[in-house]
Amino acid sequence: MIADGTTQSAPEGVLVTTTSASTQSAPVHEPRPPGPPPSGEFPESPAPPRPRRLPSPIRPGAFGAEDATILVGAAVSALCLVWIVFYQLTSLSGGLGFLICWYLAFLGLTWLGTAQVIERQVATDRVVAVVVVSAAALVIGIIIFIVAWVTYKAVPTIHWAALFTKDQKSFQLAESNALDHVGILHAVIGTFEQVLLAVAIGVPFAVATAIYLNEVRGFGSRTVRTVVTAMSGTPSVVAGVFIYSMLILTHVISYSGFAASLALVVILLPSVTRVVEEVLRVVPSGLREASQALGAPEWRTVWSVVLPTARSGVVTAVLLGIARIVGETAPLLFTAVGSQVLNLNPLSGDQGALPLVIWSDVRQPNAVLIDLAFQAAFVLMAFVLILFVLARIFSRPKGKGGKGRARPEEDDLMARFFVPIPIEESESR
Amino acid sequence: MTTTLPTAPTGPGHPQPFTGTRTLGEPGQIDAEGVCAWFGGRLVLETVNLTMEQSKVTALIGPSGCGKSTFLRILNRMHEVVPGAQLAGSVKLDGVDIYGPGQRAMETRRHIGMVFQKPNPFPAMTIAENVLAGLKFSRSTPGDKDDLVQEALTKAGLWNEVKDRLGELGGALSGGQQQRLCIARSLAVRPRVLLMDEPCSALDPTSTLRIEQTIKEIADEVTVVIVTHNMQQAQRVSDYCAFFLAAENQPGRVIEAGRTEMIFGEPTDQRTFDYVNGQFG
Ligand SMILES: Nc1ncnc2c1ncn2[C@@H]1O[C@H](COP(=O)(O)OP(=O)(O)OP(=O)(O)O)[C@@H](O)[C@H]1O
Ligand SMILES: [Mg+2]
Repeated sequence: MIADGTTQSAPEGVLVTTTSASTQSAPVHEPRPPGPPPSGEFPESPAPPRPRRLPSPIRPGAFGAEDATILVGAAVSALCLVWIVFYQLTSLSGGLGFLICWYLAFLGLTWLGTAQVIERQVATDRVVAVVVVSAAALVIGIIIFIVAWVTYKAVPTIHWAALFTKDQKSFQLAESNALDHVGILHAVIGTFEQVLLAVAIGVPFAVATAIYLNEVRGFGSRTVRTVVTAMSGTPSVVAGVFIYSMLILTHVISYSGFAASLALVVILLPSVTRVVEEVLRVVPSGLREASQALGAPEWRTVWSVVLPTARSGVVTAVLLGIARIVGETAPLLFTAVGSQVLNLNPLSGDQGALPLVIWSDVRQPNAVLIDLAFQAAFVLMAFVLILFVLARIFSRPKGKGGKGRARPEEDDLMARFFVPIPIEESESR
Repeated sequence: MTTTLPTAPTGPGHPQPFTGTRTLGEPGQIDAEGVCAWFGGRLVLETVNLTMEQSKVTALIGPSGCGKSTFLRILNRMHEVVPGAQLAGSVKLDGVDIYGPGQRAMETRRHIGMVFQKPNPFPAMTIAENVLAGLKFSRSTPGDKDDLVQEALTKAGLWNEVKDRLGELGGALSGGQQQRLCIARSLAVRPRVLLMDEPCSALDPTSTLRIEQTIKEIADEVTVVIVTHNMQQAQRVSDYCAFFLAAENQPGRVIEAGRTEMIFGEPTDQRTFDYVNGQFG
């Protein structure tokens, strides 16, 4: 089974060969004669180790002055080339076409340049790296552009005192037709009440459903999971139509903030359920066993061990769920309808909401209302941003500051959150 | 054969269920009689008869996959948690069949505690809350919580290290400390038997010795059953020893059981001799 003594001494031989590789001419794989290695071969005091220079940069990140020169050169020559082709040879036009052609030429020249100066394999590597980096830069750039643009449109005209203390009631009066007389208080209050109600109704159901799917694993849990998944793809306008036709047209409830909350629950429920289920799945099963072995009933295990362990994740799920519904517009059109005046009672009467202010005011032929719409957009965006920051803080492991050991599986919770919640999907308006 | 699995019926004159009537905290004796176990219809453990003496440490040894963990989990009704798991035979705690009618698994598990291979303190609870978790779960209120925390942690040999940081989270301890916290958590409900499934296999030698010392110290208050792959450990801590073995495609069986000196000194079975002397496979 085990090899004989001759080959067993080989590791020692190899060790010697590597320490004095420069002086030894014999190849490594040649078996050495048995016996202890001659002790004189070990150098007396070895030089301190130094990192070796590798023949070519292997990692895409290994990026030096030479590589930068190639990239800049490729970019400039691609610009010149495309300019000549576009305007001198063919007299084409169009900014986007120019940009796309320049980018493709840039990629090609990068490859050629790197292949010439360094090596072909590195060239492919470099082109892939450029594509990946520019894709990421494009996405980040678009986001920054949207945020910056809304901020630029909103902030210079904001009249802070009026914005959060007045509604649009007095807008009709000609003399008060200015930004220090109108605000979005009615919309802020409306959105606040609608979202709060939706969370109060939706989150207990979502958590209970997640517990059923992951802890109880009862009858039909696979079907329930499929339904929940399908439900998370429901277009938000359908959620609004559903509440409108089922509850408002049948006179069960009237147009109100509460009706809007119910429509938002339809959207909130699947997202939060999916995320909470993911969070519960991360809880190590050893904790459940330990709890059972202490004589805890099932409900105790869930209530006292599983949920507290997953608490930060559940909070994050709720925050992200709020971020998901706070900007929904379509379901509000049929339910809360929107209003120019403050309505504190969510249970009856039309109620304003931030998305509705944006939706209705930005189309008005009036500079004040358009400014107000952008300000509402800015407030909404800032609110979502705060929610995300809070979610990020909560999803962080508690290990910071010596309070408990960081659990590695919590590190990527945030990544898990973004998969099931299609936040960007609410562009259906 | 695998489908008929109700446990041995308790006849007339059988001792009453001990639910709530007897005091916790006195070491108990476990008699396993004809215990068999199945996973999804596959027999993995066959007719184990084994007595775990009161106030003694019994070590279960044997190669991987021979059913030691399965047997241990049968002793406190954790086996039935696994979907598709079945069993036969009876397990008696001081003469009462824990699988008998009227016996509730949760109640049994309070009498027969368990420490797992991987330290698993509840991360959302503080050290003190971890120790008291078992009582919270059974909704029994101890006379003085602080005393109980100190007593359990002292027994587990952890008190001196954590007495100033009882309010910190359970996950803030080292692996060896976490395992001793788990032992303290199990001891706090005053079980009569403590089952330990390779409690030291994730720990360094120092922590291992510390836990072995703990085991010896608690043995006069609680009967200990320990699964270990470490022959020296079995020799050091146990009074009795049972050697499990599963031949290829065969269910696991107890080959030999008896006093530890006997199993390691003069085993009657050649396979036991080979295993304890490391000449296996
Ligand atoms: N949940 C399970 N489902 C199906 N089969 C299982 C399950 N748990 C254990 N088994 C099988 O039961 C047999 C005994 O397993 P067990 O865990 O009791 O072995 P063990 O002696 O504890 O081994 P080890 O020393 O490696 O922990 C093995 O053949 C194993 O494959
Ligand atoms: Mg095991």
